[in-house]
Amino acid sequence: MHDWRSDVKARLSSAMLHPQDEAEIVEEVAQHLEAQFDELAPKIGEANARAQLLAQLGEAQFDDAVAGRRSRAAAGSVPPWRSGSILRDVRYGARSLRRSPGTVVAGVSALALGIALTTVMFSIIYGLLLKGLPFDHPERIAMIYRGDPTGRGEETLVPFADFARYRADQRSFSLFAGFIGATVNVSGGDRAERVTIARMTAGAFEVTGVRPIIGRTFSVADNAPNAPPTAVLGYAMWRDRFAGDSNVLNKALRVNGQSYTIVGVMPEGYQFPRSQALWLPLQTDASGLRPGEGAELTIVARLRPGADYRSANAELSALAHRLANEPADSAAIRDIAQPYIRATMPSRAYSLLYAMLGAVFLVLLIACANVANLLLGRTVSRTREIGIRLALGASRTAVIRQSLIESGIIAFFAALAGSALAQGGVVAFNRALIALEADRPFWMDIRLHIPVLVFVMLVALVASIASGLLPAMHSARLDINAILKDESHAASSLRVGRLSRVIVVGELALSTMMLLAAGFMTKSISELRRLEPGFASATVATARVSLTGTDTLRQHLFLEAVARDLSSLPGLDGIYIGNDLPGTGWRGARIAIEGRVYARERDYPLAQSLAVGPGFFSAFDVPVLRGRAILPTDRGGSPLVAVVSESFARRNFAGVDPIGRRLMIREQVGKPEWLTIVGVMPTLYALGMVSANGDHFPPEVLTAFWQQHRFSTASIALRGAAGIANVTSVRKVVAALDPDVPVYAAASMDVVLSRPTWPLRVFGTLFVIFGFTSLMLAAIGLYAVMAFSVSRRAREMGIRMALGATAGAVIRLVCRQGATQIVIGMSIGLLFGAVFVRAVRMLLFEVQPNDPSVFALVAVVLGLAAFVACLIPAIRATRVDPLTALRTD
Amino acid sequence: MTAMLTDELKKGSAEFLILSLLETEPRHGYELQKLIESRSRGVLSFHVATLYPLLYRMEQRGWIVGRWVERAGERRRRFYRLTAAGRATLEAQRESWKAFVAAINRVSGVRYA
Repeated sequence: MHDWRSDVKARLSSAMLHPQDEAEIVEEVAQHLEAQFDELAPKIGEANARAQLLAQLGEAQFDDAVAGRRSRAAAGSVPPWRSGSILRDVRYGARSLRRSPGTVVAGVSALALGIALTTVMFSIIYGLLLKGLPFDHPERIAMIYRGDPTGRGEETLVPFADFARYRADQRSFSLFAGFIGATVNVSGGDRAERVTIARMTAGAFEVTGVRPIIGRTFSVADNAPNAPPTAVLGYAMWRDRFAGDSNVLNKALRVNGQSYTIVGVMPEGYQFPRSQALWLPLQTDASGLRPGEGAELTIVARLRPGADYRSANAELSALAHRLANEPADSAAIRDIAQPYIRATMPSRAYSLLYAMLGAVFLVLLIACANVANLLLGRTVSRTREIGIRLALGASRTAVIRQSLIESGIIAFFAALAGSALAQGGVVAFNRALIALEADRPFWMDIRLHIPVLVFVMLVALVASIASGLLPAMHSARLDINAILKDESHAASSLRVGRLSRVIVVGELALSTMMLLAAGFMTKSISELRRLEPGFASATVATARVSLTGTDTLRQHLFLEAVARDLSSLPGLDGIYIGNDLPGTGWRGARIAIEGRVYARERDYPLAQSLAVGPGFFSAFDVPVLRGRAILPTDRGGSPLVAVVSESFARRNFAGVDPIGRRLMIREQVGKPEWLTIVGVMPTLYALGMVSANGDHFPPEVLTAFWQQHRFSTASIALRGAAGIANVTSVRKVVAALDPDVPVYAAASMDVVLSRPTWPLRVFGTLFVIFGFTSLMLAAIGLYAVMAFSVSRRAREMGIRMALGATAGAVIRLVCRQGATQIVIGMSIGLLFGAVFVRAVRMLLFEVQPNDPSVFALVAVVLGLAAFVACLIPAIRATRVDPLTALRTD
Repeated sequence: MTAMLTDELKKGSAEFLILSLLETEPRHGYELQKLIESRSRGVLSFHVATLYPLLYRMEQRGWIVGRWVERAGERRRRFYRLTAAGRATLEAQRESWKAFVAAINRVSGVRYA
């Protein structure tokens, strides 16, 4: 009995059919042959019948049958996941990728970098802005503030009278409460401390839905104006001050020298509304208040089920108009309810973070372009293979799918590697944020949360499509006949070459943009590092004290005693007591100079002022350039004095000696008085805030601290060896004089100066990482394309060299091709980059967003990197041995 | 000469023949080959390499559907049946075939008894 099945099977073997398709065809055709053989053999003999049938089976037309069957399997009605063809494609893709490990390593590392950066950025945004408060239904927790009717975005709070009316009339919120943030002195026990508190109305805790672990929160009775003072402790204060005593209820706590009864303790980590350690009841009598009057507070509320922010805002608006007795269409007052985090985070933080997310997507795009180019290169080398697959009846969708699966495999491994990298990035970011300390929002929790990982997967999926589709479309468009006829595949590689070059131009443009942003950040950071504040900061320890009560004379005497006792400490180079610290403590004010006439408010010159004690000059090592310093004799009763900075003298007394002239600080509390200028000092670093076009060396005026009228808070600074010039000395001195006065905000002057610029250091560093990653990726991309094109043209180079072209000529030829792409890509990038830098302007420090030196530097760095990327393949081209080149293909 | 004409006609009409044979009931590949051979009294003949490409192509176009059918005591066979689209195609081909034959007849003067 002849085995027809194995004959049919052998006939089909070269077609590489899906096993199931093959089995079906074998079965059907073998059956047919068998039947025919049984019929034919008796007539013409077995041998003849077999020969005839085998000849028929061997006919070329039979290939068509296979083709018809195969495309039906790919595009037909059987769902692709059931036919097992995806699995087959994955196996096939993995096998074929294993043959080119270089492509895989390059592609995976490029994409992993892009995915890691995107993931870090997204986990920051998720942990800070999207995840929400760690409470029940956080999206229903609203903050209500008063919008600015002028539209300048200066938001204010809501007066208590209006709050009380809203609370009585509104229907949108199930809980409606308010609070006022403050800092107070807490004393008693072993030490005094300065803590952040909130004075809360009843219901403010309930908005979060968190219950105290001991006792209760505030009731309406606690809010009555003359109710006995009560307090709810934060967990940390309960643990540290009361050693976690479970019988803490009804014990007393000294707040600002007054006794409060403890009624509750909140659970660990609870710091609502922001970074509160203690809560006191807000005690206000609303009965006598008219609309718009009373203490201003922040409203927190919980949306009633079924209500949304739209309807709640409509109701608030109607209530506000009724309150102000205004027609409903006027827009004078606009109180706005927003989700809590949205309302409490500055909108510039939103725009910065999303701008950065956009930036990392650009880096990712560059990485995708790299992978696309790599795969495109593979496509060219596999043109014949693809052509044969198409010729054998593979449908174009099957070819596209195969290509996408290969980029998917690369993206999968990139996502794994990228997540691991991102984990490291997140840890580093959290470490950098430790400097934020109390400014760190309590809900911020930056980790690779599940939604972040889902995001990674989506990004990887999009990346695999973005990097696989172009090569896939290209291979699907291939002309079978042309490929199979054209042994050297010159025609198709030419077309791919054009596509690759366009991709590289795009990559260069994107990385120019990123590099430009990185350049501005680098310059900002180096400006910041280079900054000479003009005063000593390294060996200066600082702290603040805050005095309770309203007795100015007592406060004055107390601070004088502190100054006296500190000066008895040995080994100090200077002791400073003043209103605040230089660098960050300046207050902006408008100045009048005696004998000048100012027509309008804005004609008064601007200056920064600071009230300093006589120790300022020794403690901060500030010299006096002319005249004299502020002296211990400049005290209450003596003529009022001021020391001005060089910048102030230059701007207001050009060419004239300012000493002896008089000025007035117009925005001081109480009646402004004339101050006589007694000295001139160098201009000191001021502001420290990262501001758009901030002048960091503005005109400055020092006034005499002891000639002031208010002494409720003061900054203290000591300069000297670390063993003595530290806050412990200050604490000892202050505690000896009054144990109720806390010494807080202890920090070295270096830390004080660097704290306000942390966004620049953290985000600026991130930008620098983005920039250099994209530079690297673009250079690699350019290199790959050039190297590929050179290898394709090896034969041509060989001929040129054989005909007498010099190495220089060949290098020029190759580099010229690259130069065109570099110039086009860079021009586009610089154009868009200029726009992008403007968007992240808030991070710039002492650099203008149109600084030509940065543009030039970026052009040079990118140009050099790109040039090297061209040069290496160009040099390799000159090494081509003409004979070898002519023999290949 | 005659052989060449037959080949050309065969190519053009093969699909028509198969559609016609499947009109009344589903049949398998070998049965189709036998029927064409016997009904044309040997003028038309197919074999595996010519028949299956045709069947698979027609199936791909959605005119016919192949199904594996098991009958008691027999091996399973692949039976092809007409789809709605196949039926419509058959009608259309039948019409144009009639018109074509009529035209040929009028021109060539061939008459059937």
